[in-house]
Amino acid sequence: MANINLRKFLSENKIVALLIVVCLIWALFGYLTFNTDTGVSGFLTARNFSNLLRQMAITGILAAAMVFVIVAGEIDLSVGSLLGLLGGIAAILDAVYGWPLAGTISFVLLAGAALGLMNGWLTAYLGIPSFIVTLGGQLAFRGSVLGLTGGITIAPVSPSLRYIGQGYLPGWLGNGCAIALFVLLLFMAFRTRRKRLQHSLRVPTPVMEATRLVGIGILILGFVLVLNSYQGIPVPVLVLLFVLGIFTIIAKGTVFGRYIYAVGSNAEATRLSGVNVNLVKMVVFGLMGVMAALAGLTTTARLAAGTPSAGFGGELDAIASCFIGGTSMRGGVGSVIGALVGALIMASLDNGMSMLGVDTFWQQIIKGIILVIAVYLDIISSGVKRL
Amino acid sequence: MSDFLLEMKNISKSFSGVKALDRIHLEVRRGECVGLCGENGAGKSTLMKVLSAVYPYGSWEGEILWEGRELKASSIRETEKAGIAIIHQELMMVPHLSVAENIFLGSEISNHGFLDYDAMNARAQELLAKLNVHDINPALPVLNYSGGKQQLIEIAKALNKNAKLLILDEPTSALTATEIRTLLDLIKGLKAEGLACVYISHKLEEVAEISDTVTVIRDGTHIGTRPIGELTTAGIVTMMVGREMKNLYPKEDHDIGEVVLEARNISCWDVTNPERKVVDDVSFKIRKGEILGIAGLVGAGRTELVSTLFGAYHGTHKGSAYLEGKEITIRSPRDAVKAGICMVPEDRKRSGILPIIGVGHNMTISVLNRFAAFGLIDEHEELAQIQGEILRLKIKTADPMLPIASLSGGNQQKAVLSKMMLPDPRILILDEPTRGVDVGAKYEIYKLIFALAKAGVAVLMVSSELTEVLGISDRVLVIGEGRLRGDFVNDNLTQEHVLAAALGQTTQMA
Repeated sequence: MANINLRKFLSENKIVALLIVVCLIWALFGYLTFNTDTGVSGFLTARNFSNLLRQMAITGILAAAMVFVIVAGEIDLSVGSLLGLLGGIAAILDAVYGWPLAGTISFVLLAGAALGLMNGWLTAYLGIPSFIVTLGGQLAFRGSVLGLTGGITIAPVSPSLRYIGQGYLPGWLGNGCAIALFVLLLFMAFRTRRKRLQHSLRVPTPVMEATRLVGIGILILGFVLVLNSYQGIPVPVLVLLFVLGIFTIIAKGTVFGRYIYAVGSNAEATRLSGVNVNLVKMVVFGLMGVMAALAGLTTTARLAAGTPSAGFGGELDAIASCFIGGTSMRGGVGSVIGALVGALIMASLDNGMSMLGVDTFWQQIIKGIILVIAVYLDIISSGVKRL
Repeated sequence: MSDFLLEMKNISKSFSGVKALDRIHLEVRRGECVGLCGENGAGKSTLMKVLSAVYPYGSWEGEILWEGRELKASSIRETEKAGIAIIHQELMMVPHLSVAENIFLGSEISNHGFLDYDAMNARAQELLAKLNVHDINPALPVLNYSGGKQQLIEIAKALNKNAKLLILDEPTSALTATEIRTLLDLIKGLKAEGLACVYISHKLEEVAEISDTVTVIRDGTHIGTRPIGELTTAGIVTMMVGREMKNLYPKEDHDIGEVVLEARNISCWDVTNPERKVVDDVSFKIRKGEILGIAGLVGAGRTELVSTLFGAYHGTHKGSAYLEGKEITIRSPRDAVKAGICMVPEDRKRSGILPIIGVGHNMTISVLNRFAAFGLIDEHEELAQIQGEILRLKIKTADPMLPIASLSGGNQQKAVLSKMMLPDPRILILDEPTRGVDVGAKYEIYKLIFALAKAGVAVLMVSSELTEVLGISDRVLVIGEGRLRGDFVNDNLTQEHVLAAALGQTTQMA
């Protein structure tokens, strides 16, 4: 009975189960990298935590938008190449033409939106399966970046662009952000409570509510303190957190978000409910393009150069993160936070294994196995077979 | 040794603490047909799943005796081997495989690992001939045949497995009148040869015609088993609902106003076969507060006609529509909803529900913008409306956030109705609104239809159940082979009149 209850709890709170997995992985690497001479474990340091989060930022940005694509019942295989192309364009505009940062960023984001919308238009309005459209895109975009860069690395990019990928927020600003976020959450909690009471809906007891808020507060505080004890919150991590916030709001709170899940659940029924299904799909691909642009900018900034191979395989990491995070292949189910925890799991494995000096080929084999196991665990924990 | 082929004794089955079946018993003799009746959600399907070992031995309580010996099957394969064959409501055919390949799926005739097509085709032909079916070519893909023919192929498949007991779950819900006739005659023939069957259907006339005894279950409990001679269909209904249904159709007076929608010269062509006209130049008018029934046989083009009006038809179509005298262009369901035309589609599972989404969110999908400012939904306002609707329509759900697919058919249909009522349509199209819905929910749906008409909504209802069309319509359009074959005021109109018109026997009537 206890077993069933635990299973039910975990299937309803997938995110808790995933976080437990993260803790287990960290504990394992913490143990394996423990240095008996110094008494510290190389994995569990503020510096490594900061690195880890920066590593996952790019995959995380892609995964956040990929969740929507998969939930809508589609797939995007072109994002890795699109990231490379847009990152390459950013490097050329910045390093070769000396565009101001704002101009580069706006141009690249717009280009990402346009190319994403094009993928979406071909899929939704012309009815070409997204697998085919984006497989074509993968080749075409990679070819374009090779052509544009002439196959060589474009460097060096300006310091202001580099800041996006390599910079840290000063400590006081990090603290400020954390406080602002906490106040916002407090405000939202009170507002929800008031509204629910207004419509005479059930509300949790004040004690439960307070415990939850205090828990979240401790989490935020711990997060910021750890990062500040190294060099501060890395800029890409801040960007990722923004993306997480915005995409979660889109998913849970907006008309558009509701439509995405509805389309994935039953596109025909959604169409017959008077929803413009094609437009929803096209915009989802548009968002994916914008996120590929953001990831491209971050990649170029982090490497301080535009390389023609940037983002190679990025689409697979993003897709794997979504599936590890509980997104259903059949569409209609999936959460942004889940995908990001999925990305965190992948990044932790990369980081930990590199630290242990595991060969790259082993890293790939292990990541592949973990992906399959994670999805299998999700299947048995939810008690239904997904096809 | 008893003379029963099958005895199910004190069968109980629970799902996470909720009793779905409570000490049910069911007996079937050789060569006997038992009608199994009950509202949707009464436990008929669960009982059949226990019998066919979809729920294996050990996951339920009680005892099953098969030919006098206890049956402890753990998989469908075992029950099939014993001689129990189940034919589901939704046919389980692989459309692109041939008839013979489907019949022998899982028990192929092979020669050293290679399929022996000649033997399979010959044997399939033989099986079909036994069923008196001579116009099916076993080598052609199943998708070439209609639902009725596919039903016969399913039965041939069951016979091939030497079935002694045939379970038919709502076998006629998608069949035409002639196909139903063929099926019923066939079952009678098989009965005479000693095959037993369990016939599950909401169509009580069929149950009465074919069964020797009728077992009624309600809310998972056994209500009674009686020989058919002692029962009337009204009696069965009373047993099913537990109260007397004096009037199946709660007719209420409502005023009929001006013409609100006029359809002119609507024609549609088949989606897969663009040469074939499925709707041929149909024009009609519908008034404010009027309930207009559209009768006709399955495949007459009624669904195509109404989905064209709603902008949802995928094939080629032409014609024009006038809303309160002004011509309107409807290119998509979105345009239609905006213009005040809503439609509850025929196939609930395929095009009505968003299965894994909550009941409540299913209901509000068409009117989300009402609760939203700058694209952000005010969930609380939305939830308040959802709870109001759930109460008003008496939708039975533990929680408005429960996935709609977990509800019974009747409650799903009420939620879909609610979805299409929330936009406050001026014209509401209902395509088979009570298909697969139990008697109690049907009654409530009729009441809703009358309430809508009273409020001035024009209701256009397509239905294959003639009693339903005659029971609630103010006026009846009859469609036959894509043409308008009759437009009758529902005054002393009989089923015979309508059927005759649908078949094209009399063109001028009333």
